Amino acid sequence: MKVSFPHMGNAYIALSALLSNLGAEVIIPPRPTQKTIEMGALHAPEFVCLPFKVNLGDNFQALSMGADTLAMVSGTWACRFGYYGRVQHQILRDAGFEFDSILLGRDGVGTVYNKFADTVDGNLALGWLRAFRSFRSKARAVDALEASAREVRPFERERGSTSDALSRSLSVVHESPSVKATGSALDRGMELMDAVEVERRGEPLHIAVLGEIYAVLEPSLNFDIERRLGEMGVVAHPVMSIYKWLFRPLKTDPSILVEERRARRVARPYIPYVLGGEEHQTITGTIDAARKRYDGVIHVFPFTCMPESVCRAILPRIEKEYDIPVLNLCLDEHASPTGIETRLEAFTDLLRQRRRKKPR
Amino acid sequence: MLTVGIPRALSYYRYFPFFKTMLEGLGTKVVLSKPTGKRLVEDGVRYCVDDICVPVKLYYGHVLELKDIVDRLFLTRLVSVEKCDSDTYTCPKLIGLPDMIRSSIEGLPPIIEFVVDIQNRSIHSSARRLGEMLDTPPALTRKALSRAIDVQARYEGKLLGGLTPEDAMSAAFSGNGSSGGVRAGSGDGPAPGLNVALVGHEYLLHDHFISHNLPSRLSRLGSCVTYMTEVPPDVIEAELARYPEISWSYEKELLGSASYFLHREDIDGVMLVMCFACGPDSIVGEIIEREVRTESSPPLMTLVLDEHAGQAGVATRVEAFVDLIRRSRRKS
Repeated sequence: MKVSFPHMGNAYIALSALLSNLGAEVIIPPRPTQKTIEMGALHAPEFVCLPFKVNLGDNFQALSMGADTLAMVSGTWACRFGYYGRVQHQILRDAGFEFDSILLGRDGVGTVYNKFADTVDGNLALGWLRAFRSFRSKARAVDALEASAREVRPFERERGSTSDALSRSLSVVHESPSVKATGSALDRGMELMDAVEVERRGEPLHIAVLGEIYAVLEPSLNFDIERRLGEMGVVAHPVMSIYKWLFRPLKTDPSILVEERRARRVARPYIPYVLGGEEHQTITGTIDAARKRYDGVIHVFPFTCMPESVCRAILPRIEKEYDIPVLNLCLDEHASPTGIETRLEAFTDLLRQRRRKKPR
Repeated sequence: MLTVGIPRALSYYRYFPFFKTMLEGLGTKVVLSKPTGKRLVEDGVRYCVDDICVPVKLYYGHVLELKDIVDRLFLTRLVSVEKCDSDTYTCPKLIGLPDMIRSSIEGLPPIIEFVVDIQNRSIHSSARRLGEMLDTPPALTRKALSRAIDVQARYEGKLLGGLTPEDAMSAAFSGNGSSGGVRAGSGDGPAPGLNVALVGHEYLLHDHFISHNLPSRLSRLGSCVTYMTEVPPDVIEAELARYPEISWSYEKELLGSASYFLHREDIDGVMLVMCFACGPDSIVGEIIEREVRTESSPPLMTLVLDEHAGQAGVATRVEAFVDLIRRSRRKS
């Protein structure tokens, strides 16, 4: 079985650990590029949200690399994400590809569980347990490395050295064959991150990055906003992370559940009902950013995203009530890196001026 | 008398008879905003988020229209509109609509928010809350509610009979007959002209400004129009059983009625009307085109509307479609 799945930031490291421990061969498509997005946009419905198009492009790439099974989560939610797998796989079949679908959510847990009965080495239950442990340790390792890169990058002496160190340490983690090896790979990665030369240059700007989760976490979609900000000497604080995204639905980590509950509670005066996306994280994240005295907030979301469009209408009110500047970045396949760069530069200039007038 | 303003947009097309009867039963005077016009759209666009679908922009326009002339503003929050085993929702934008309005328009009159969340809260409880907001005795609320439910049922009966929401409303309010409506130009047997089925949200199809009078344009071209509101709920239910589940209540109706029309012999063409940037429709439109349509289905056309769609563009596409189905009928 040659399994593939769409990209989302560095989630592929944890997901491929999961699947390869179950005995499947994992096909990882290249990181999404402009070409991937164009290919997806060509076949996707015209005004579907951008993540759909990127995922579809990833699937095209994976199938042309020889994948025979595509995995995707699926469900019946108010957000379109629940229908991605169903519609994308239909589009691919209509385009002439033949493959097997794993739709987690719609197929039911049992079907997915038994899907690997033939491929797994030895006992199926033990195989899943092993796979899950590896999945969790790699997800945590990726999370830790990303967090340390975020801290180091604004102060790096040589531009780009942090990102180089990060990609080297991530590949060490990715290639580690066992849970134990992942542990030492993480240590090795942390050493690499510590080896990045830094110099202190005054207090940097702090900006929270929040919004639709895929737009926050997928560098190809947001033009690597975290790196861009870091290299401008700004500390970016993403409200979401791959680890939280992967483990939220599994409900194994109580700290994530507590945080989710708190986010809903804080956001209640602004959005009392669940809209089905990350709207509570967006609203609460903005309020938190103001309370933590960050300099600003960047709200990223794909064009036509339903829950975030609602947030987009509410954020100006929070901006005023809490006195925190918010930059809205609405992304689609026509957004250009120069456009984003210009807006980020203007925004950070504004924040620097604001700080001069009103020191924290 | 307290005046309550209801925007002529979104939920208006579905539930206005209910809202009006209910509010009048509670001793208020209902004021409806004017039909959509150019000025209203421009106002709506100015106050609204730029990248949102046109029905929400229209809703903003209608709210602005009412803002200074009423004592209370009646906003609806449609969370779930049907009771069934699995979770159902409306569009996230409909759920968050009052929050958006509150945050982006200043100087609004006090808001009466009516929540429809059938999965978690009965309509009686929503009505009770409305009564409390207007300080009316519970007995009066109960009476108003039962009358409102009657009027709404009469209205839905008229819609099933083939009337447009406008005609169905006036028939429901005047209270004549209990079911069925007579529609000009169509009878039961095979229609003389072409028979085009219109599938799309009421707030698009029946907003004359945004749909550029689509229904009357079709009848002027000699085709008989069948609305999706004419498909009975049990037929939709049966059609839906053929496909994997979806959870948007209004899109379920779209899918069910499109499937019904696309498998019928007496329909010459189906027009799927959507608005640009509509989230659920972008998925359901694709499902209709890929899962529902078969080789033998009547022609299906997707018409996408927004506030920039020119009248000439819409007219050309509609004429071309009617020409096409006329030709394909002549051939067969």
